[in-house]
Amino acid sequence: MNSIKMNGSAPEKNIYQPHLMEIIKVIPETADTKTFHIQFVDPSLQETFSFLSGQFAEYSVFGEGEATFCISSSPTRPDHLEFSVKRIGRVTHALHQLNPGDLIGFRGPYGNHFPLDRLKGKNLLFIGGGIGLAPLRSLIHNVLDNRTDYKEITIFYGARSPQDLCFKYDLETWSRNPLVKMITTVDVGDGDWKGNVGLVPVVLEEIGSSSDGAVAITCGPPIMIRYTLKSLEKLGFTPSQIWTTLEMKMKCGLGKCGRCNIGPLYVCKDGPVFSFEEIRSFSSDEF
Amino acid sequence: MFRKIAKENLKKWLIDLKTQAEVLTPAKANALWTYRNFDAQDIPRDFQNSRLPPKGLFLESLRALFEWKSPGGSLQVHPLPALDGPRVIFGLRPCDARALKILESVFARDYPDVFYLRNLSRTLILGQACRVQCEGSFCGEMGIDSQDSTDFDVFFREVPQGYIARAITARGTALLERRDLSEESSAEEWNLARSEPRGSRERPLFDLERVKAAVAESFPDENFWKRVSAKCINCGVCTYLCPTCHCFDLCDLQMPGQGIRFRCWDSCAFADFTKMAVHNPREEKWRRYRQRVSHKFNFFYQNFQAIACVGCGRCVAHCPVNLDLRQVLLETAR
Repeated sequence: MNSIKMNGSAPEKNIYQPHLMEIIKVIPETADTKTFHIQFVDPSLQETFSFLSGQFAEYSVFGEGEATFCISSSPTRPDHLEFSVKRIGRVTHALHQLNPGDLIGFRGPYGNHFPLDRLKGKNLLFIGGGIGLAPLRSLIHNVLDNRTDYKEITIFYGARSPQDLCFKYDLETWSRNPLVKMITTVDVGDGDWKGNVGLVPVVLEEIGSSSDGAVAITCGPPIMIRYTLKSLEKLGFTPSQIWTTLEMKMKCGLGKCGRCNIGPLYVCKDGPVFSFEEIRSFSSDEF
Repeated sequence: MFRKIAKENLKKWLIDLKTQAEVLTPAKANALWTYRNFDAQDIPRDFQNSRLPPKGLFLESLRALFEWKSPGGSLQVHPLPALDGPRVIFGLRPCDARALKILESVFARDYPDVFYLRNLSRTLILGQACRVQCEGSFCGEMGIDSQDSTDFDVFFREVPQGYIARAITARGTALLERRDLSEESSAEEWNLARSEPRGSRERPLFDLERVKAAVAESFPDENFWKRVSAKCINCGVCTYLCPTCHCFDLCDLQMPGQGIRFRCWDSCAFADFTKMAVHNPREEKWRRYRQRVSHKFNFFYQNFQAIACVGCGRCVAHCPVNLDLRQVLLETAR
């Protein structure tokens, strides 16, 4: 009897198993949003880990599940990773219960990234809404840490109310930076609010921003992005001058679980960063 | 290599293999055909195909991926191993074997999935030519030859005295080297053993190239998808019975002091499949049905140069509201 011969070898790595990371700091951003600073428990991973602005990861609260968030810190500041979470569902509620010293799971980085090469030498216009500043923030810190590679940097950030502004410490630093033009706006102000009042696209059009040699990078609620796009077009931006990062439901982040597709594209692998020229050519509107 | 094997010898051969490997053959469980550990009885002759596709033997409906424990309060995460140990499955049909190849392209690309790939590499797949065209099936239209396939290690054609076996892979050839239980056969005998499945159609229902183009063209036609999906009740049975559907969820099970994360089948037919915090891009039923058909006949083809449907007919035969994929495909091409 001939013994059974099996085919070659299968891979050994378990692609679903996360690395353990320790929460080293929790920053309350708004009433329902927190930023977490995390570090690999295994110091050798802390040394070797690398990512690019715009990439995302899968974060686990063991026993509650896994959820997808962008990495909101910059690769130019590799001491730790940061991600920001709005409390909405099961995993985000569980994350909000955690404190420094607690352990979470981390898989990543996944997806593509902002095209730094195409931003170099350009005027950069960042337009963020609410928690949508998180992915932009990674890129903003990245370009500020290599400031001489870029021309004018304008950061345009809006939230529903002054209480809903995230990353107030960054907004503060950026507004004091003479090499950054910082504009904040809220939909509804209060007695203490001294910034702009009005929706992001409206204020953007009022203040204006030249599209010459410029690239706009935007992220925020879908409705904001839709109207911001129209405003940018009025200001002369072409679709190839505008970039965004898309949100879709994900489970695996590996292009296998079947949720995050827009037509044939998988946001987890082909995205999440797209130019509006690419988005315009999408065969599907399901995003 | 071709070998001729008498029925009684196939049984002996499989019994022998049981000493080295887990051996699965078609069997009835709860009145439905499935694959079970070979019980050393005769290979059933009335088996057409299993109710559930054999994908579950490779992409299990539930597979534990890793575990965590917190002895003394310190959290530790440990991988759970992929299954090992050689396995032989006898009796798979050409449609289902093709489906395993289609799934392999998903699970091998970019981030190789150890669980699926190990299940494939540890399994010798012995196929059987079909004798009956299954209810609802359109395998021929999908380019599957019910009488021939290279998606197996060994492929068997039934003849009155037993089987003519054709070795396809090197490990299939090695397996057939059992001289005392089989005799030499030839390409002529192999060709003569080819039969026409009972109930097969004289003319194909549709032309695949035409349907493929038509599904892509129909994508923006909202009214079309609303009309064809109107009677769908979102039960998801088509996706669970589908040999190529592979969408999954990742879930946690927490027990006192320990837990596991597992992967389980999920379905694009379910409304919360793509539900996010603030919106759901496929909240409407017609979008989900369009996604399923477009994924199989358009998106998957764009990404993997293969159509993620093998025409097995399970979704047609067992849809509780008789939503017939073949009719939908025909209508796109109309």
